[in-house]
Amino acid sequence: MNIKIKAPISTAVAIGVGIIVLLGYFIPSMDSIRFILLRTGLVLAAVALLVGIINLATVHIKKIGKESENSGYSLILLISMLVTLVVGIIDMAQTYLVGRPNFQITNWVFTNIQLPIETSLLAVTTISLTYAAAGILRKRMDMFSISFFFVVLLVLLGSFSIPPATIPFLQVVRDWILRVPALGGARGLLLGIALGTITTGIRILMGTDRPYGG
Amino acid sequence: MSATGFTGIVVVVLFVGLMIAYSIIDKDRKSILIRPIAAYKKIEKEINVSVEDGTQLHISLGRGGITGPESAAGLAGLSLLKQVIEKSSMCDHPPIASTGNPVLSILAQDTIQGSSQAISLADQRKNPSGELTGVTPFSYAVGTLTTIRDDNVSANVHTGWFGNEITWLTTAGERQSSPTIAGTAQLPAQAVIYASASDPLIGEELYASGAYLGAGKMHEASIKAQDVVRWIIIGLILVSVLFNLLGFNTFIEEILAGSI
Repeated sequence: MNIKIKAPISTAVAIGVGIIVLLGYFIPSMDSIRFILLRTGLVLAAVALLVGIINLATVHIKKIGKESENSGYSLILLISMLVTLVVGIIDMAQTYLVGRPNFQITNWVFTNIQLPIETSLLAVTTISLTYAAAGILRKRMDMFSISFFFVVLLVLLGSFSIPPATIPFLQVVRDWILRVPALGGARGLLLGIALGTITTGIRILMGTDRPYGG
Repeated sequence: MSATGFTGIVVVVLFVGLMIAYSIIDKDRKSILIRPIAAYKKIEKEINVSVEDGTQLHISLGRGGITGPESAAGLAGLSLLKQVIEKSSMCDHPPIASTGNPVLSILAQDTIQGSSQAISLADQRKNPSGELTGVTPFSYAVGTLTTIRDDNVSANVHTGWFGNEITWLTTAGERQSSPTIAGTAQLPAQAVIYASASDPLIGEELYASGAYLGAGKMHEASIKAQDVVRWIIIGLILVSVLFNLLGFNTFIEEILAGSI
C-alpha cells in the first residue's frame, strides 16, 4: 500500500510547522505551541526508529537470499537483532512480574558484548586516523596539506612527555597554535556552518528545498 | 521579546530579503559567477562516469536527525541526494543512499521516490534504496562499509552529520580506489575529512550543493546572501576590534547592560 500526501499539502504543512517552530524561538508567547510541535516530532521520530529497524531487517533478509559474499554478515546481524529482541522481551516480562526494573540480561549483553566491541572499534579508529594523517601528502601535495601535516606533527610532539619534546619552545609553539590560529580557524568554520545552516533552513521554509518528496 | 529574539528575527528577515532580491536581480542571467568547488565538479564528473560505465554512486547521509542542531547537515545531504538522482536519470543503476538515522532514512526514501517518479524511473528494481545501516556511530560506519565495497559503486559521497567514524568510510573508499567526496558540520570530523577524503567539503561548502548542481536561482541567491552577511559579520568583527583598541568596549557593554 502506498499512501502519499499530495505535494502542495505536504509542502504547506512542512512550511507552516517550520515557521511556527522558528517564531517560537523568538516570541515567548509562542513557546507552548513550539513545544507541542517538537514533542510530536520526537514521538514520530521514535516511531521512525521502529520503521527503520524493520527496514534494516528487510534489507538484510534480502541480502541473505542473494548469496553474496557479505550474506554471512547479514545473517549475524539478523541473529543478533533477534537475540537482543528476545532478551529485551524476557527482561520486560521479569520487570512486570517482579514489579521493579529488572534489566539484568540486557545490561549483561551491553556490558559484555556491545561495550567491548565499540571500544575495540574506537581503538581501530585511532589507527585509521593516524593512517589518514600520514597519507595526506600522498593525496594532495599543496600548501594547505603540507601546513596541515606539519601542524599535526608539531601539536603531537608538543603533547609528548618524553625529553626531546619537553623543551619549552615546543610547548609554547603548541599552545600558541591551539590558542590563536586553531581557535580562529574553528570560529571561522563555525560562522560558515551557521550561515549555511540558516540558508538551508530558509530555503526549506520558502519551499525551494523540499527534502520530503513533495 | 528579548534582544536575542529580536536579533534572530532581524537575521532571518535580512536573509529572506537578500535571497528574494538576488533571485529577482539574477532572474535573466543564465548562471552567476561563484567560486569553483572541486568536490562538486567531481560529483558531476562521477555522475557522468556512472552513466557511461553502468555503475552507481553511493551517498551516505550521516546519522543526524531533524530535531537537533545536526538537522541542517542532514537536510543539506538530502538536497544533494535529490540533485544527484535528478542528474543521474540516464543511469542504468541510480544512486544508493545509506543513513544512520531512522527519520533521515524515511526522508531519504521519500526523496528518492519523489525524484524517481519525477524523472519517470518506474522500474522498482532500479530504484535506489534509503537504507538504515545502523543506529550508533560505529554500527552505522560498519554497516555502510559493505556498500562502499560493492564493486558496482564507482564513487562515494558522504554529506551530513558524521563524527570521527567517517575515517572508516573515507579510508574504505580509498582502498577501493574510488573517489570520496565528504563534508560534515562537526569540526573534529572536518579535520579527519580533510586528511582522508580525496575531495573534502569544508565549512559552509556542505550546504551549497544546490547552487553548484543547478537546483535553481534561489539556491544561487542564497549563496550570494550568505556572502553579503559574511561581509557584514567581518565588518562587525573589525569594528569591535577597533572599539576594543580605542577602549570603547566598556562603554558599549554598559549600554547593553542598561546602566547608561
